[in-house]
Amino acid sequence: MPSTSTATICTAKASYKKLPGLLELTSTHLQWTQDGKKAPSVKVPLVEAASLFCSKEGAAQVRLKLGLVSDDAGHNFTFTSPQPASLTEREKFKAELTNIISRNRSGVATPAPGTRPPRTPGVPGTPVPRPAPSLSRAASTSRAPSVGSDSRGPGTPVGDPTHDFRLRKKVLMSTPELAQLHRELVMTGQISENEFWEGREHLLLAQAAAESQKRGKPGQLVDPRPQTVDGEVKIVITPQLVHDIFEEYPVVAKAYTDNVPNKLSEAEFWKRYFQSKLFNAHRASIRSSAAQHVVKDDPIFDKYLEKEDDELQPRKLRDEGVDMFIDLAATAVDHGETGNERDITMQAGKQRAVLPLIRKFNEHSGRLLDTTLGEQPAKRRKIDSGNNDLYAQLDLEDLHGDEVSPGILLDMQDRRRYFEGRSMDTSQRAQIDVGAAVQEAKDNVNGWESRLSQLKIDRKAGDAALLSMTQNVAARIEVTKRKNR
Amino acid sequence: MDKPSHLSVVVDLSPSQWHLCGQSSNSHPLPLSAFLSQLLAFLNAHIACNDENTLSVYGALPGKSILLYSSATAVPEEFTGPADPNTYRPFEVLDSTMMNSISDRVEALTDLEQEPPIGLVGALTKSLCYINRMSNASSTSTAAGGVQGPVVLPDPRILVVSVSPDESSSYIPIMNSIFSAQKLKVTIDVCKLYGPESVFLQQAAHLTGGSYIYLERPDALLQYLTMAFLPPPAVRQLLSVPTQDKVDFRAACFCHKNIVDIGFVCSVCLSIFCQPVPVCSTCRTKFPIKTLQRLNASKPAAPAPRTPAPTPPATSLPRSQSIGTPRSSMGNGLVAPSPSRNGTSLPPR
Repeated sequence: MPSTSTATICTAKASYKKLPGLLELTSTHLQWTQDGKKAPSVKVPLVEAASLFCSKEGAAQVRLKLGLVSDDAGHNFTFTSPQPASLTEREKFKAELTNIISRNRSGVATPAPGTRPPRTPGVPGTPVPRPAPSLSRAASTSRAPSVGSDSRGPGTPVGDPTHDFRLRKKVLMSTPELAQLHRELVMTGQISENEFWEGREHLLLAQAAAESQKRGKPGQLVDPRPQTVDGEVKIVITPQLVHDIFEEYPVVAKAYTDNVPNKLSEAEFWKRYFQSKLFNAHRASIRSSAAQHVVKDDPIFDKYLEKEDDELQPRKLRDEGVDMFIDLAATAVDHGETGNERDITMQAGKQRAVLPLIRKFNEHSGRLLDTTLGEQPAKRRKIDSGNNDLYAQLDLEDLHGDEVSPGILLDMQDRRRYFEGRSMDTSQRAQIDVGAAVQEAKDNVNGWESRLSQLKIDRKAGDAALLSMTQNVAARIEVTKRKNR
Repeated sequence: MDKPSHLSVVVDLSPSQWHLCGQSSNSHPLPLSAFLSQLLAFLNAHIACNDENTLSVYGALPGKSILLYSSATAVPEEFTGPADPNTYRPFEVLDSTMMNSISDRVEALTDLEQEPPIGLVGALTKSLCYINRMSNASSTSTAAGGVQGPVVLPDPRILVVSVSPDESSSYIPIMNSIFSAQKLKVTIDVCKLYGPESVFLQQAAHLTGGSYIYLERPDALLQYLTMAFLPPPAVRQLLSVPTQDKVDFRAACFCHKNIVDIGFVCSVCLSIFCQPVPVCSTCRTKFPIKTLQRLNASKPAAPAPRTPAPTPPATSLPRSQSIGTPRSSMGNGLVAPSPSRNGTSLPPR
């Protein structure tokens, strides 16, 4: 396989919009050039390929429809080469494009087309590579209407200007009022584009986030309902549907690989399948009204009939692996009696006829979760869970007692000097003769009675003291008066 | 003056300080003798105001504190005889008892090379204990007729007459006494006769709702005593007494013991530094380099209003803090607007 940058992989004569031309698939693009023109009118980068549809095998025109990331309608090509060349050509295109689309969906950067897409676990496309070799003709890996922009991948920097522009356009298209506002303000030149978007970054971010989300598998069980059209029972078989059926019921896939194209053609296969008991067993409803067409015995398909799944245990046992922390069954024997009556409604397996259906639902849900969430870690835990691991689960931090910490020891440096900084220096004190002072004190104390009777206060001193005190009081009263006013 | 009140006086009797106070080189000297006379007159006045007024006097001597007089103690023997007819009996008892105690104690003072600091803390604490005891005694003892219910000692207050400077080691005990006084609803008044401004006593008065007066004319002591300290707390709501509003709340930095206006505070132990330090010296918390750089850059040249500083270690009252000059005149009784204090917390690593 050529792996140079723009090598052409396959070409075919095809018409687009009723105009004849040449369809080419290169390693980077799918392009269609009108006959007689030099440049291709349609040039689609391969990262944009999102979905693929083909017309039926026996149809008059061999058509191929490519859905794009941004444009669901995409492009319709009709292969104009004479049969069966056109058919082979179309198949070739289909194969390559299928691979490319699956790669797009898994978000992997596109290497040269033709190499197998690497296995990325946990992505919806995982089951696809397995049946891919045999199903590349029939199946398309894309889910029909999903808009997933996996082609962009998570690695695209948000500040990319084209990306930004696309986001802005999308936001404007989704809210007409905003579009009008934008028209009025920006188109007329009142404020610049950047200014307009300055306060609205959250809208852009929301749009980017919405785009980067992948749509998961649909939750419904695969159950194609045949439609009665003018007495004729019809089922539309799209490659999408085929793929879904193969994924849901591996038996059908097996049957397909065994029989097609040796014993049955594809159309034959499907026709007989939908009339077989096998299909009937795969219905999602046990009501007889769902079986709208006659169920015939079919030698080929009846081989694949399995026994009804209505034993005591389901055929496919779930991998339990319950966290021992929350495993109620582990101590079920301890919680025997409750005061309640035994429940008569929700008893598992009471209606035997419903069991297969219920188990089908369970399997389907389990499969959905597995693909979305990834491998159950329960298996691993069972293997290496020692006692330590279990105890570690019980060790909740909230249950720990109060931690008594000794606290930080405070050690103030040079504590004595702290207060001496603000007082007068102590040198004065040392100069006093203590003995003399004591003597003086003694003298002063003696003869107090006479002194007391002769007590007199100098008038001026008294007046001065009185005055200052009065001023003090007056000032304070003034302040309070002003405050209270 | 209907309700009785209790007065506890703590008298500073440091001989060396009184010597300094009585020196004639002072502007207005007050010798110990004059002081004692005026104090006695004041105490007599207190007793005279209301028949039920109670009084206790504690003396703070160098190294110890003594109860000099208590109105609760029984009258000693020597006074039971005929009294001096010219003196009012209660006055005579009070004066004699107190002066005899003082003279005894002063006589007993030994000559020491270095005078030990006075027992101000002890006297203060003992006053509080006295007040507490009196309160509890009156409340627990039920009269025979069951008349009186629990009676708290009426309107207790403590007057501290001080001439000595602050003793740094007494800071914590004084703060504890202040908190006890708050609990007991005791008002602490301070009469500062001589010596530097006492920050501890300023805060004592401020926190208990008393008045702190620094005497400008010590020779007119009796005037101050009568006007400012005689009215009991209940009357003070009507009769405004002068007080000095400026309280020095400034903190000193832990590294140099300098007074700081703007400082940096450790967010773990709240110790104050004048400049950012990489490791707190008290709690040994390491601070990230980035913070230090940021703080160094933010050190303002002039005070800029920012988050308020933490409370200095002295007090926890969120009052407006003013920086008063050490000898603020009493005439300026206004509460000065405080320059906003800045402190930036250093977050620990």
